[in-house]
Amino acid sequence: MSTPETLQDKPLVSIRNLSKSYGPLKVLRDIDVDVHEGEVVALLGSSGSGKTTLLRCVNLLENPDCGRIEISGQAIFNQSAGGDDKAGIKQKQVNTLRSRVGMVFQHFNLFPHMTVLGNVMEGPRIVLKEDDASNRKRAMEYLEKVGMADFADRMPHRLSGGQKQRVSIARALNMRPEVMLFDEPTSALDPELVGEVLSTMITLAKEGMTMLVVTHELGFALEVADRVVFLDQGTIEAEGPPADVLLHPTNERVQSFVNRFHATAELMRPLLQD
Amino acid sequence: MFDWSIITQNADLILKGLGITLYYTVVTTALGLAIGLLVALAQLARISAISWIGLLFVEFFRNVPLLVWLLWSYYALPIFLDINISKQLAGITALSLYGAAYYAEILRAGIQTLDPGQTDAARALGMSTTQSMRRIILPQAFRRMIPPLAGQTIIQMKNTTLLSVLTIPDLLYQAGYIASFTYRPMEVYTAIGVVFLIILIPSNYLARKLEAHSQ
Repeated sequence: MSTPETLQDKPLVSIRNLSKSYGPLKVLRDIDVDVHEGEVVALLGSSGSGKTTLLRCVNLLENPDCGRIEISGQAIFNQSAGGDDKAGIKQKQVNTLRSRVGMVFQHFNLFPHMTVLGNVMEGPRIVLKEDDASNRKRAMEYLEKVGMADFADRMPHRLSGGQKQRVSIARALNMRPEVMLFDEPTSALDPELVGEVLSTMITLAKEGMTMLVVTHELGFALEVADRVVFLDQGTIEAEGPPADVLLHPTNERVQSFVNRFHATAELMRPLLQD
Repeated sequence: MFDWSIITQNADLILKGLGITLYYTVVTTALGLAIGLLVALAQLARISAISWIGLLFVEFFRNVPLLVWLLWSYYALPIFLDINISKQLAGITALSLYGAAYYAEILRAGIQTLDPGQTDAARALGMSTTQSMRRIILPQAFRRMIPPLAGQTIIQMKNTTLLSVLTIPDLLYQAGYIASFTYRPMEVYTAIGVVFLIILIPSNYLARKLEAHSQ
């Protein structure tokens, strides 16, 4: 959670002119987004706005049609519109860049055939070929950090959703990523479990982790994000400090998006009284 | 009515046949699984030429009767390729390839129906396709495929009886041989059937236990 003055000029993640279609449907149109070191950027928008697709493009889990994506100055994707110039980026380089980007998924995607500790150690063991001793030590530290050290020998199916998500955060952290991507990390959780995951994310943000977060938690965006990017139908409708964008929306799409949350709160008010 | 002394008197021949049957079952299952895995991966390849080859392989073997394919492998293939192959090699090749087509379908389905989120998670850690297959996808897919794979292996064992047409002395061949000089086909073929039941029913039971254990 750094202030804009301390941000370096060179963004850690730089997305330029990114476009993506599924058949005739344009999901992303000419998107530009930068994420600077230590910055927390929240990607907001209603479902179908393209925010998850945009996030998945950053580590090429989705293949964009054209545009340019750089991670700490290194291109992971570079293709001009119409051309098929991939700038000679090899799959191996893509894998290396992916290993430097952590990702947390809506449905956790823990490996069900491995223990909690096995999940957290898997990336460094297989991808970085790290020896088990130092890997295990660090994995336990990260499990400690997310409050899951006591569950190291459990199998994932015996954990609650919130616990699974915290393990998946530890799994991503154990690769010591330069940036973390969160894809609606609390959307699949029961309401009472959202807090434990959000508080883990807040800890990370406070420690200066660079984060790009797709979320429906407006409270998180407002309190934790340095900047919000609001997507609608594949284009950026609004961007800026969360208070400006969310509390005083000038854009009518943002306004109706925020109003829907107010409307839900209105609906609940009578239920909450007496 | 049944004279079971025929069986005890010829137990050595039946045991020899059983050895041959088990040998061909093990060898063609192992080869079939290995080739089947390659064919399944070929079918799933992103390069369409490769996936087409995988598809053609499966379609060919699933639509040719095994008996026709066995006889053709032994009698016609050597002529076409101008090579000499023993009946043993012809039998092993033909049965392995035939089994591979069925194993491939089981493996392909098992891999394809796995939650795509598992691949996402593996790729997001920076794993290569091979690493994610070996560490994440296949271990999970195999576990879920134990029942159909066991089922196919039982069929594979029963299919080895067709090797007798190539005069490979398996259980069925020995049965025919014993019947030819004892004139007691009823006893002999009943005994062979019982041998298969004795081996396969516990195997089935074991496969079920294994499945329950892996859940």
